[in-house]
Amino acid sequence: MPVLEVRRLRKTFGAVTAVADISFAVEHGEVFTIIGPNGAGKTTTLEMIEGLLVPDAGEISFGGLTWEQDARAIREMIGVQPQSGALFDLLTVEEHLRLFASFYRKSRPVGEILEMINLQDHRNKRVKVLSGGQRQRLAIGLAMINDPDLIFLDEPTTGLDPQARLNIWDIILRLKEMGKTTILTTHYMEEAEKLSDRVCIVDQGAVVALDTPAALIGRLTKEREIRLGFEDGEAAAREAEELLQRLGNVTRMEREAGQLRIWTERPEAALHGLFGFTRERGYRVERLSIREMSLEDVFIAFTGKEWRD
Amino acid sequence: MLAWKQFPQMFAAHLKITFREKAVWFWNIFFPVILMVLFMIVFGGNAGEFKARVAVADPRPGEASAQLMDQLRQFPGLEIHGEGAVTAEEGRKLVMDKKVFALIELPSEENPAVRLVVHRENERNITARALAGMLEQFVQQANYAALGAAPVFSLDIETVAAGGDELRFQDYLMTGMIALSLAQSGLFGMVGLVEMRRKGVLRRLRMTPASMGMFGIADMAVRFVFGVVQIMLLAAVGVLGFGAKLQLHLVSLAVAFFVGVLAFNAIGYLFSAVSKSQEAYMAMANIASFLMMFISGVFIPVDTLPEWLQPLSRVMPLTYFVDGIRDGMVYARGIADASFWIAVAVLAAWGVLAFLIGARLYKAKSIAATR
Repeated sequence: MPVLEVRRLRKTFGAVTAVADISFAVEHGEVFTIIGPNGAGKTTTLEMIEGLLVPDAGEISFGGLTWEQDARAIREMIGVQPQSGALFDLLTVEEHLRLFASFYRKSRPVGEILEMINLQDHRNKRVKVLSGGQRQRLAIGLAMINDPDLIFLDEPTTGLDPQARLNIWDIILRLKEMGKTTILTTHYMEEAEKLSDRVCIVDQGAVVALDTPAALIGRLTKEREIRLGFEDGEAAAREAEELLQRLGNVTRMEREAGQLRIWTERPEAALHGLFGFTRERGYRVERLSIREMSLEDVFIAFTGKEWRD
Repeated sequence: MLAWKQFPQMFAAHLKITFREKAVWFWNIFFPVILMVLFMIVFGGNAGEFKARVAVADPRPGEASAQLMDQLRQFPGLEIHGEGAVTAEEGRKLVMDKKVFALIELPSEENPAVRLVVHRENERNITARALAGMLEQFVQQANYAALGAAPVFSLDIETVAAGGDELRFQDYLMTGMIALSLAQSGLFGMVGLVEMRRKGVLRRLRMTPASMGMFGIADMAVRFVFGVVQIMLLAAVGVLGFGAKLQLHLVSLAVAFFVGVLAFNAIGYLFSAVSKSQEAYMAMANIASFLMMFISGVFIPVDTLPEWLQPLSRVMPLTYFVDGIRDGMVYARGIADASFWIAVAVLAAWGVLAFLIGARLYKAKSIAATR
């Protein structure tokens, strides 16, 4: 049974349809990432699932528990890190953890959480003086204080520097090791690709794609782009272009001075032919790269929108 | 469902948040104390002790004027500039330069009256009035003496108040200040709620099993603790520093304190429901506080206000809170007295009304739980 199942969710605000029709199921132990352009309905969807908004239509089930029947039980079993820090400036890290622990029937020891979010040395500091990354880790720590089965992390790394972002990735991977289920939203494609078991792309209030990152990319196209630069300049590039034309397997090519761009569905065959040719002629290759398709290409293909970090 | 298990940590959190905020210390502790000390010095400090430095002009020196001058010297509290007469011009200049408080011009050929000259800015000053009163009496006595008659009637002034002969202006001012600072703590104190809402802290709590009712109760409990600290501190300053006297009636003090603090916090809560920013909240609280401060009998008795203003005073909650606190602290009356219960009822009505409207607004704007 899925940990969380959402069926045909719908929510309108006056004339604006924030969520038109969203369904998905989250399995135990996975990192499930929701991405989408601004205004796609991510936040509204999350708020309905977290029990802050009542959907106009549709069902939300936490392994059989519903908000109508079991609000208290659901709150006991989920942990939420909201987008805005939502902390008390004048309380310390440890005071936050102790306060939140008192809300729940069961809770994890404060020391354990401090270790997980790596704030042991800052336990007696007030939130006011913490850095953005430290606050974010505390917010995640508060989401874990009740040892929840299901954790919601809403853009946990937005606005953080690369090191702070890596720290948060570590926490997410640690949660996965512990067998927790995580629902993540993010603004960083790289993050979604690295951390998620499955990615759900939302646009205009509906799910447009849902699969593992690899499958989503594979579904897009098998084509890869190879870029080559010849030290020997235009002549070498032109000869290589002619050779590849003869060999076939190439979708299209572009040449500019000593640079050649090749699109092919069989990059290994194209490269094999190319290196035979360069060795035979004694041409030197200055640069070589193969660009894999990324989640970003998938996103653009499905939503027709540029991704902005 | 109220979860009392959550109370201790919530109370501790509210306590820390309150006492770690420097602005709270300033506005709720230091400011009322400073204000009370100032008012005590200005209004209450040496009541009954009259003092003024005056110059005397004698345009027609003679035996009569010498006698008048002599009598003026006998007046307690009156200090005469240069120990002798000056000319009218010199005297006026002394007044204008504020070297002396007033000039007393003794009768001359053109002007048979005794004339009092004060600086225009002191026209309505208490000392000026007292001086005028004294001179009038002085002139009258001089007249009787000239006619060789003795006065038939005389006037004695005596003050009375409930609670015996003990009530003095210091007591009145001290209790007014206590009520005022408790009320202000309530009116201004909910600003933190605006901030918690803006930062999403309230939403965050609603995602947990935390009882929001208990969160509010814990907050109020801290406010009561703070209120007790205020009462004790201001009473200590009033009693030890200015000789105010307490005549406690603890039950009525407790009732007035409890209902009043709740009522003013409820009004603050209502303000927080309609303000999107701290600035908006502070503006509202300031208006309410200033409006009430001067017309609710904190410094000046309501009966001495202009008549058209009095009906407004009679609906302001602070008027009743001040009454209630005075009943409990210096009049030593209360639970047996109907007027005490009327005050409590009016306060309670304000509190309930403000709370209900506030709660409704929170809900309507879906600031509070949508579930």
